[in-house]
Amino acid sequence: MSEYEKITSVKNAPDKEYYMPGHRTCAGCGPALSYRLVAKAAGPNTIFIGPTGCMYVANTSYSCGPWAVPWIHAQITNGGAVASGIETAYKTMIRKGKYKGEQPNVVVMAGDGGSVDIGLQALSAMLYRGHKVLFICYDNESYANTGIQTSPTTPYGAWTTFTPAGPVIPEGKKLFPKDNPKLVAHGHPALKYVATASIGYPVDLMNKVRKGLSMEGPAYLQIHATCPKGWQFPADQTIKMAKLAVQTGMYQLYEYENGEYKLSLNIKERKPVYEYMKLQGRFSHLKPEHFEKTQAFIDGRCAEVGISVPVTTES
Amino acid sequence: MGKIKRISGCVAAAQAVRLADVDVISSYPIRPYTGIMSELARMIADGELDAELVYAEGEHAQLSVVYGASAAGARAYTGSSGVGVTYAMEVYSPLSGERLPVQMAIGDRTLDPPGDFGSEHTDAECCRDQGWIQGWASTQQEVLDMALIYYRVGEDPRVMLPQYACQDGYYVTHILGTVDIPDEAQVKEFLPPYKNHHVLDPKHPQIIGAQIEPEQGPPMQYQRRMAIDNINPVLIQAYDEFGKIFGRKYDPFLEEYMTEDADIVMFGQGAHMETAKAVAKRLRNLGEKVGVVRLRAFRPFPYEEIAKRMSKYKAIGVLDNSAQFGISGGAGVLLTELRTALYDVGDKVKTVGFVAGLGGEVVTHEEFLRMYKKLEDIVKTGKVEKTRYWVPFEL
Repeated sequence: MSEYEKITSVKNAPDKEYYMPGHRTCAGCGPALSYRLVAKAAGPNTIFIGPTGCMYVANTSYSCGPWAVPWIHAQITNGGAVASGIETAYKTMIRKGKYKGEQPNVVVMAGDGGSVDIGLQALSAMLYRGHKVLFICYDNESYANTGIQTSPTTPYGAWTTFTPAGPVIPEGKKLFPKDNPKLVAHGHPALKYVATASIGYPVDLMNKVRKGLSMEGPAYLQIHATCPKGWQFPADQTIKMAKLAVQTGMYQLYEYENGEYKLSLNIKERKPVYEYMKLQGRFSHLKPEHFEKTQAFIDGRCAEVGISVPVTTES
Repeated sequence: MGKIKRISGCVAAAQAVRLADVDVISSYPIRPYTGIMSELARMIADGELDAELVYAEGEHAQLSVVYGASAAGARAYTGSSGVGVTYAMEVYSPLSGERLPVQMAIGDRTLDPPGDFGSEHTDAECCRDQGWIQGWASTQQEVLDMALIYYRVGEDPRVMLPQYACQDGYYVTHILGTVDIPDEAQVKEFLPPYKNHHVLDPKHPQIIGAQIEPEQGPPMQYQRRMAIDNINPVLIQAYDEFGKIFGRKYDPFLEEYMTEDADIVMFGQGAHMETAKAVAKRLRNLGEKVGVVRLRAFRPFPYEEIAKRMSKYKAIGVLDNSAQFGISGGAGVLLTELRTALYDVGDKVKTVGFVAGLGGEVVTHEEFLRMYKKLEDIVKTGKVEKTRYWVPFEL
């Protein structure tokens, strides 16, 4: 790992924006905020790859886009492969003297569908081949731009238009979510860095972007990006909800490097997952046993990365 | 001057890639095109070619890698065969729509089932209307020459379109032919460096592939359509200069063989037309007025050239080495398109479709003789008994 300049606080973060106003995302959009933070941290020598998803459709409507750096659309399937081509092209052109300049940061900003589901093959191959690319999954836990359908990261029990709750299926979504950071972390020898982040913790997020970009090889960052429309909560609670996800352990913030998990926050205790879930309409149909099942699942996930603090009993 | 060598179609394609100084190549194995990538890998390992070979995890990724590479300003190359060609389908339109002039070799193979390795044009013809330049070489020399010509035409600022450079599996990919491999200086004179003014470069930020609303789509489609429709002057100029520099002259659209006073011609594309030529020569020796018209440019389809140059024949047999189930005319796409091109001529030119060589079977001299016989009967009697045949089941 080479050095990178750490950001010490939101106030001390660079003023300059590379993800500008003027897009058409929903009020309180978590992924848009994540984009702004990623672009700010990455800086001007950056190329973004945008596989189909909210951050393609809502950002580029009517042939315009909010980026002050180059951006290219990729299919929802192939963010990793398009990024591989761009990174390889620059590496080769610089070596052959066809491009005069520095190797740019190559950053994929894919949704959970484009990372964990239909885009997983291209992501895995990119990590395996060792391209110097930062692949970011902005995880809003659904196919949101198509009107909220279940993805592999949609939590157990969540309503989506493909997982409606009804008398026969009272919990809505029956499956537990796929854990992509762990899935990619353990099988790709060329992968240099894996981390999770949250828009509720912007300084940590920006530093993870910079650290990922400083690696001499591929890095994977999964950002929890809350979605008021899809999860059904008021738009002014985006940050509150993001923080609650971390405080309840629903989303665990860590880095995975050299075979070890390192927690990013020193959490003293965990709030019950119910405290987080009760505020979102997508979970409003659930019964006590469904919250209990979620709590048990989340306890297990937390233990896997070394979050061993107890759950508080207050509710 | 160049070197004369006996090489396969796969090696000829690889030689063209080396001469074109390609920067990024993406590979995935599937027979019979695989030999192109093996040869390129060898060239890179031996220091004959300075390029990066990206081991894609499938054909879809192959096309996606060259999409990114070309958008970043690199000259890029890939290839496939059979179901690999169709697996990549999603990415063909984005490549032509973003006007990224990559080149893809297709070494033909049947689609599954039956899962045999045989050559059929079906794979490449499946993706014929995606806004790519497309055509078939019928010899190893033509494979090399066409690859260079296609890069030049595709990268021309008036065109900016990707290209499928097709060759029949085995008949061309694997059989050795005598090839004049040009030297680098000649190629430099013919093929300027790739320059796209819409590239991903942090020094000049651009947004490529923004989403558009329905009313903005048609103008973009129209631009792509005009690019492919107006390609002929660029194609003619490229072939003309190629002939001057390398000494090999090709008709950009139609290769005519013994057609001068012909009443009957066999029309088709690819390596089987070399057999058709041999059979036409046999029949000429017997006094029959027969010839061959080999299609060299499949996309864009040269319908105006065909109307101009092929309305004079009494009967045309169309060889389709492909299975297009349920197509109008009941044979293959070449029959359908040739008939459309000759629509204004009316009933004067009789056309018969022959689907042959499926599964990679040789279209034999005997089969061609039976086809010519059907056409001769039509000319003699003025009557068309049947307009389509699947060979050998129906003829």
